[in-house]
This record gives sequence, C-alpha cells and structure tokens, in this order.
Amino acid sequence: MADKLLKREDLGKLIGSVVGGGGVFVAPTIDARQVVFKPVTKAEEIVTDYIVARNSYKEYVFPQTEVVADYTIGKDGVDLRSRKVEPKETVIFGARPCEASSLSALRAVFTWDFIDEFYTKREDKTTVISVGCTKADEACFCTTVALSPETKTGSDIYLLETESGDYLAEAVTDKGRAFIKKHASVFGAAGGEKAKKLFIPEKIKGIDPGKVAEKLSDKGHYEDPVWAELTRKCIGCGACTFVCPTCHCFDITDEGTAFEGERRKNWDACQFDTFTLHASGHNPRDLQYKRWRNRFNCKFSFYPNKFSSKGCVGCGRCIRVCPVRLDITEVMEELSK
Amino acid sequence: MSSYESPVKNNGCACGAPSPYLPVRATIERTTRISETERFFVIKPSDPLLLDYAPGQFFMAGIAGFGEAPISVTSAPGRKETFELCIRSAGSLTNALHRLGKGDAILVRGPFGRGFDLDEMKGKDLLFVAGGIGIVPMRSLIKAVLGGKGYGRLTLVYGCKTPEEMLFKDELEEWKDSGVDVRLIIDTAYPGWKGPVGVVTTLIPDLEIREGNTLAVVIGPPVMYKFVIMSLDKKLLGPEDIFVSLERRMKCGLGKCGHCQINSAYVCQEGPVFKLSELKGMHEAF
Repeated sequence: MADKLLKREDLGKLIGSVVGGGGVFVAPTIDARQVVFKPVTKAEEIVTDYIVARNSYKEYVFPQTEVVADYTIGKDGVDLRSRKVEPKETVIFGARPCEASSLSALRAVFTWDFIDEFYTKREDKTTVISVGCTKADEACFCTTVALSPETKTGSDIYLLETESGDYLAEAVTDKGRAFIKKHASVFGAAGGEKAKKLFIPEKIKGIDPGKVAEKLSDKGHYEDPVWAELTRKCIGCGACTFVCPTCHCFDITDEGTAFEGERRKNWDACQFDTFTLHASGHNPRDLQYKRWRNRFNCKFSFYPNKFSSKGCVGCGRCIRVCPVRLDITEVMEELSK
Repeated sequence: MSSYESPVKNNGCACGAPSPYLPVRATIERTTRISETERFFVIKPSDPLLLDYAPGQFFMAGIAGFGEAPISVTSAPGRKETFELCIRSAGSLTNALHRLGKGDAILVRGPFGRGFDLDEMKGKDLLFVAGGIGIVPMRSLIKAVLGGKGYGRLTLVYGCKTPEEMLFKDELEEWKDSGVDVRLIIDTAYPGWKGPVGVVTTLIPDLEIREGNTLAVVIGPPVMYKFVIMSLDKKLLGPEDIFVSLERRMKCGLGKCGHCQINSAYVCQEGPVFKLSELKGMHEAF
C-alpha cells in the first residue's frame, strides 16, 4: 500500500542524506543529451520526463569493467592479490518496474554453484526505487512478457507520481521498509494525494509467449530457416547485450605493463564472433544468425528453464539501440505463428 | 534458486576463498616438449586441494599479464604432490606458457567441472576413442582405469594427422603391455608409418564390441564426434553407452561468464564430460 509521501522538494534532502552518509544516488539524468542512469548529487540533475534510461542500471551492481585482482611481477616472482569488494550503499532511483525484475535474473547466475561476491555484495547494498510509468513508446513491451507498470516484484520501494509531481511510496521489501524508516524525515504520511494514471501498454497482438516457449522447447526449431531470414541484417555489434538489464556475460582479461597490472572482469557479448571461438579456430557459433538465435533462446528458453528467472523484461532497450532495426518482438511474433 | 543440482560444489576446489577468480601459485617441477606444438608440464601447486581432481576435469592455467585458458588434466588422479598438464601452443598465452621452465611459477585455478564417473565404468569393457590432443584428457582416464581394478577389456583407438603428432608414444607401448588393445591410425600416408591410414572411424568396424557391456569414451576435435558416434551406433553403442568431453572457450570456469554455454548447460560446470544422452537436442555441442 502506498501509504507514504515523498515530496518532490524533499528529493534533494534524500540525495544529500544518502550521499552524505557515504552512499551513491543513481538516477536518470542527462548526459550527452540522453537520459542515462548516473550518480547525481543534486535533485535538479534528476529527469522525470523519460520513458526508460538509455542504459540499464545493471552497471551499478555488475560494472562494465571491474578489477578482481592486482598483480606485480618482480625478481621474487609474481604477486597476485584479490581485490576486496567493499561497495558503497547505492540507491537506484527512477528505475522502471520492468527492469526492476532483472536483478533476480542476474543474481541467479552469480549465485548458482560458486558465489561471485563481486556481484552479490554490490546487490546486497543496493536499494531499488522504481517509479510506475505514465507513458510508453512503441518499443515498450512489458505487458507482452507478463510484466506491467504495476509490477512491484524486484523493487524495494515502488513510487507513483502524483498530479502535483510528488511521489506516493510503498515499501515492497524489508530493505525498502528499512530505507523508509532510515529516511523517515522525507517519507511523510500520505493523505489522499491523487496518483497520475499509469500508462499500461497494450500487449502486442500476434505474440503468444506460451507458443514461443513451446516452439523453443522443441530443439527442432534450430534448423528453422526463420532464424537466418529474420536476423540476417544483424551486424554483431553487441549493443543489445550492453543495454540489456539481464545480459550478464563477461570476459576476464589482464591489463597492465610487463611488471604490474590488473585482472579485470569486462562485459562481453555473445553477439561477437570471438565469444565462442576456440584456440583451434573452431567456432561452435560461427555465423551471426546462430549467435542471435542463441541470445533469443537464452532470454526465452535456456535461462528461464535453468534458473526460473526472467530472461526478458520487455524494456525495449535492445529495440531502441539496434542500428539495423532488428526488433526482438518481430521474432517473437514470427515464432508465435 | 537454480533448478539444476551441480555435481561439483565449491568443495574439491581451492577457489572458494577469498575469491573464485584468484588463482593458486604453483611451481613447474619439470617440463618437456613432446611434439612440435605440445609441451608437457609437471606442476606442484602450493595448495594441496588442487590435487583432489578426477579424470576429465580441467584447470584454468595462466600467467599474470597473459590471462588464463582451460587445460585438461592429463595425470592419473590420487597423486600426492603434483599434477600434469599438456599444453598446445595456439595463442599468446599458450606460447608464453611454452617459454616457462623448471622452477618457474604458473598460476592455476581448479579443478573445475564434472569428470568421468569411474564407478559407472566398473565391470564394463571400455573403448577409448581419441583424436589429436583428445589423448591428453584420455590419458588421465586410462591411467586411472589401469591403476584400478574391476574393469573389462580395454581398447584404445587413437588417430592423429601425422606420427609426429602422436603423443605419449612410450606410454602407448606400456599400455599395450598392460593389456590394452591399442590401435593407432594417421590421416594420410607418411614416410616410415606402417600402420593403417585414414580417419579414426575406419578402425571402429573391425573392433569386437560386446553389446550391452561396453562403454565408449570419445575425445577429439569437434569434427570427429559426429562420425565416431555414427560408427559406434552401428556397433549398437547408443547414447547411454557413450561419454564425450567437450572443448569450449572458457574464461571463468565457474558457470558465470557465459562463454562455454550450450543451450542450458555451462560446459565448465556441468561438463566437460557428458553422457551422449545428456546432449540430446543440443545442436551446438559438436
């Protein structure tokens, strides 16, 4: 229940309190004329008139590049030291309900079997405050993948904008309740403020997620010429994977001089031809359509089956960023036939 | 959260603390070049936990500044101080590894993945089919089997491009003496070679295979599997009777980075050893 009120004029106070306490306040802001998630220090930096930020906030729990160890090479040999993960308290403000569902998908990968503390410690320190959408664009398809602007799962605190530009707040998780308690001075009692109407996008006609899942469960679909036909124009730039809130593949590389350097985890993309290239020259996914087919299956079959998590949240980022206008929903539609 | 129960938990791997990405220091006790492109290493890890490996498992071996690569263990399990790797020079890291000598440091993480189930092989005739450097992980298994008791007849079919690429020639003789039916073949005629010439599959029709009591283990380059499996099928060895070990590009070894993923399986954790029946419908396996 949205029983708290966060006044727009108190946002600055909230940011000050988080940042003053040594934390990071990430919110949609303008960078190079685009709306992106970035750390802010002032309320004026925050943008409220946006659909979704161009980047996903996953980079604050799973950085694009992260040092996992340092090494020095000297006369006495090699010294390799693990980096300690000591993340700051991080608040993600202004996430959309669709992308809030992505953290559980990332967590599933980073905690099955071996536990990757570089991820878990960051996520543990992260509070997600989402804001229900009052508008959408033609790339939004959350309702087609069974989410909506009303979805609260994945958010710690769920906000609704009011007619006067304030926020009605609802604590969804214990973490959210603790956050509201800690910042009680800015979360007052709500008193009948009226929330703006949420914009619920229509489900895309012609897409039947059940049918897509059914088709993907039969591995015979691999040989279907539809994959090559629909995805021939893909240039393998990997942009879709970088903006995707659930994509999580990474490379490990050593970067430095001959005497010292860092071992880093860097984002990688299954759309690159070297991603699966063996040292022998053999490549199990040697053509671009096979790489695209893999990513689609990863989202709608492999990961949902393996981890019972959502592979696609319908945020539409991959559609907006694609330089050749390859639209994942067109492929979903084709597979629904 | 995961519906999949991994056969390998953090135990049996020294990579739990402080970070699974931090390798263990090891020392090269001995190294010999054993072919034009392969070098053999005897490695002593500073942490004895790394010696708790099974045939079929692998290590991430590396050098600071060059990175890491997945390398199959080639020694028998149960050793007290060292393990053995055999590394082909194929890129910048493996070339650098080839420049290392006795006493040099090497960084290793592991052992990773699921190895061979020796218990399931007890009482069975075993047919080992190796192509090229597929003999490297196969050697660990053959040595484990020869060191144990209760296995049936043992046959090794091993094919290479040239006799010079054939690895562990002395040991092949020893295995023959221990009762293994060793059959060797090379791809094309070569001066001095008196054995058969052709692909490894051509040796399979002549083998006497006891149906229902034979397990086959196939390790080789990706192109080999399909044809070997077809030949084994004619010998009435089906998906439940064949084990394979898959090669993949790997970076983490921990089931995270995604490079080795085929369909829903992370080869580094759920493999690299699979029963053929587990790969049913996995189109990119070979």
